[in-house]
Amino acid sequence: MTWFINIFKVWYNELKEISRDEGIMVFILLVPLAYPLLYAFIYTTETQHNLPVCVVDQCQSSLTREFIRKVDATPEVKIAGHALNMAEAQEMLRMREVSGIIQIPHSFDRDLAHGKQVVVGVFSDLTSMLYYKVMLLGVTNVAQDMNRDIKVQNYLHPGTRREEEVARMPIDFEHVQLYNTQGGFSAFLIPPVLMLILQQTLFLGIGMSMGRTRENNRGLVIPPQSGYKHVVSVVLGKSMLYFFLYLVMAVYMNVVISHFFGLPQLMHWNVFFGFMVPYLLACIFLGFCFSAFIFRREDCILLFVFMSVPLLFLTGVSWPGSAIPKIWQWIAVIFPSTFGCNAYIRAGSMGATLGDINHEVMAMWYQAGIYFLLACLIYIWEIRRAVGRTILK
Amino acid sequence: MLDILKRTFLIGERELRAFLSRPIFLICMIVAPLFFMILFTSMMNSGLPTKLPAAVVDEDNTHVTRGIVRILGSMQETEIVAHYNDFTSARKAMQRGEIYAIFRIPRGTTHAALTSRQPKISFYTNDSYYVAASLLMKDMRKLSELSGMAITRETLSAKGVNERAIMPILQPIVIESHPLGNPYLNYSVVLTNLLVPGIFMLVILITTSYVMGIEWKRGRQKELLDMAGGNALVAVWGKLLPQTMLYTLLMWFAQAIFYMYLDFPCECGIERMMLWGFMAVIASQGLGLFFFEVFVGEMRFAMSACSLWGVLSFSLAGFSFPVSAMQLPLQWLANLFPLHHYFLLYEAQALNGYPAMYEWKSILALLGFSLLPLLFLPRLKDGFLNKEYVP
Repeated sequence: MTWFINIFKVWYNELKEISRDEGIMVFILLVPLAYPLLYAFIYTTETQHNLPVCVVDQCQSSLTREFIRKVDATPEVKIAGHALNMAEAQEMLRMREVSGIIQIPHSFDRDLAHGKQVVVGVFSDLTSMLYYKVMLLGVTNVAQDMNRDIKVQNYLHPGTRREEEVARMPIDFEHVQLYNTQGGFSAFLIPPVLMLILQQTLFLGIGMSMGRTRENNRGLVIPPQSGYKHVVSVVLGKSMLYFFLYLVMAVYMNVVISHFFGLPQLMHWNVFFGFMVPYLLACIFLGFCFSAFIFRREDCILLFVFMSVPLLFLTGVSWPGSAIPKIWQWIAVIFPSTFGCNAYIRAGSMGATLGDINHEVMAMWYQAGIYFLLACLIYIWEIRRAVGRTILK
Repeated sequence: MLDILKRTFLIGERELRAFLSRPIFLICMIVAPLFFMILFTSMMNSGLPTKLPAAVVDEDNTHVTRGIVRILGSMQETEIVAHYNDFTSARKAMQRGEIYAIFRIPRGTTHAALTSRQPKISFYTNDSYYVAASLLMKDMRKLSELSGMAITRETLSAKGVNERAIMPILQPIVIESHPLGNPYLNYSVVLTNLLVPGIFMLVILITTSYVMGIEWKRGRQKELLDMAGGNALVAVWGKLLPQTMLYTLLMWFAQAIFYMYLDFPCECGIERMMLWGFMAVIASQGLGLFFFEVFVGEMRFAMSACSLWGVLSFSLAGFSFPVSAMQLPLQWLANLFPLHHYFLLYEAQALNGYPAMYEWKSILALLGFSLLPLLFLPRLKDGFLNKEYVP
């Protein structure tokens, strides 16, 4: 029974300490609550629509005008200007009035009439890879559509409407964008960002509170209170505090943020808890291990904040996991976010069951176990040190 | 004047001694940035990810469809890692994360195609993994288009159209794409080139407020002001100058690796990029100092503000998700991030080789960030004299 009371004592003492510290509260309350809203707001437009481009139409025929009209009508591209020559168009590009140039050669009509291929140039600004993708998609769709018309009208001479349809596209095809039907950024980036926010703010909160205790206790992480004698009760008491707080945060992100910003939600609650519990535990215990290196409270900001961006890449979400060199894949195994982000995406956006994400869930349980033992070792050492200095009777 | 120089030098010396006595400075200011530079350059070494895992569900399984599948397997972005007999097992593999895309040819496709009954083939991409999905989509779309053309081609040659005349009929209008400045669509050129300076700038933001705050934390802010002869500007100047030099060297080292060793495009010449790199360093220092002045004495809030602002800059700089696609208030907000301006300068100058004057706004903005703390110097001086460290 005493060990149970000890856990509670540690929990209560930590709660008291943390609630007095506004610096920690910023990271474990404000950031998990507010940052996701901001991120979701950034990506809420999903993708680039109506990219402004400029046309250099050197042919000026009714056919090229039809081409330009059709391009303008695509959701991807907007004709924002016409230029007489490439030099003028490039000037518009430099002034950032447009993000791309479509060049139609003067031989457009003549070549088509002679049965020759014509080449339409698409010059896209690489300010963002998305500009390139969007512009090429819009223009290619129009070109393919017109190609089919030209092919059918000039060469194939179908008899009936149905024959014309078949002649236009002898094999029809469709592209289905699974799990992110708008093909947008928010359904793709927000889930891993949410998981990373959980992990990073946990590291920061735990690290800061460790730094705080050290500063107040002349370098010791074990405060001179009763209840801190046994290592398991220290580790469990401390982790309980973060665990329940962060479970609330995780539910908040999964419900409020996802609902607010229309992210795909295919997850059952048992799946959610099935991976969130090991994820949070692994993050908390790893946070304990890292915080052994934190001697001043501000140090953890220095050490943890800039890890966020590389960790996002190591999850294999934004940069395809299969293209990441092996050595980095191994380093990524250290961090719970690598498995947590993928589990959350698969379960939340793709409706995977616990069986489908078994690999990730097991990996996180292993992490939780290993980091728990490590954290215990660190605290055993710290308790001995504290006893050695006879602060703890 | 000589007096100021001497004081700057003395404060700088004091600062260097502080660096050497604390391993955390070494780790954060030198080891970590270099480590992340190695991480990003090696991760994106391939430039464009290729051979991404995909699966095929070929329910028809004739020599025609097998031919199509073979072509898919030979395409640049696609690696067919599995064949499934039904769509459900393929979808399950996708949910397990084994594949990013499924190419499906339904039963009877060949027969329907040969008898002009317009079969439909489909491909499914997992757009939760956006980059992989986009790349695979490109391949699969091209293949679908080609399969249809192959049928028309047979029809045309049956009608006696000769080989040379067929292509112009199949594809009268050809789109030729010219990705400006980065013809190989090397992702590394876009991402590494900005992620690494971005990380540097984040580190600068945080460490600037850290080294300032540590004076208050140790209760030595008055000693520092005395060394500076009561001039807050000299105190800051002497304290931050060693960092300016260190970070500028790091930035130049990264740029030398990018433009001389990795041969990333640099149309404007490396000297010009080094100048923008230097300006980005002092702009970040200026912003970090500004945040410190706003929360003078309250180091934790200054550092929190710096970290939150710095992490946000990776999203708002606009090199992954373009600023022009964001909501209007965010488009304004983006201007308040030095990384955004460094990015615009990099893009206009190194990638496209436009004259610098086209980006005068960004140059001014970077200068503005560097000079911003001057406005709040009186507040800082007041902080030196009257504020104590708040834990």
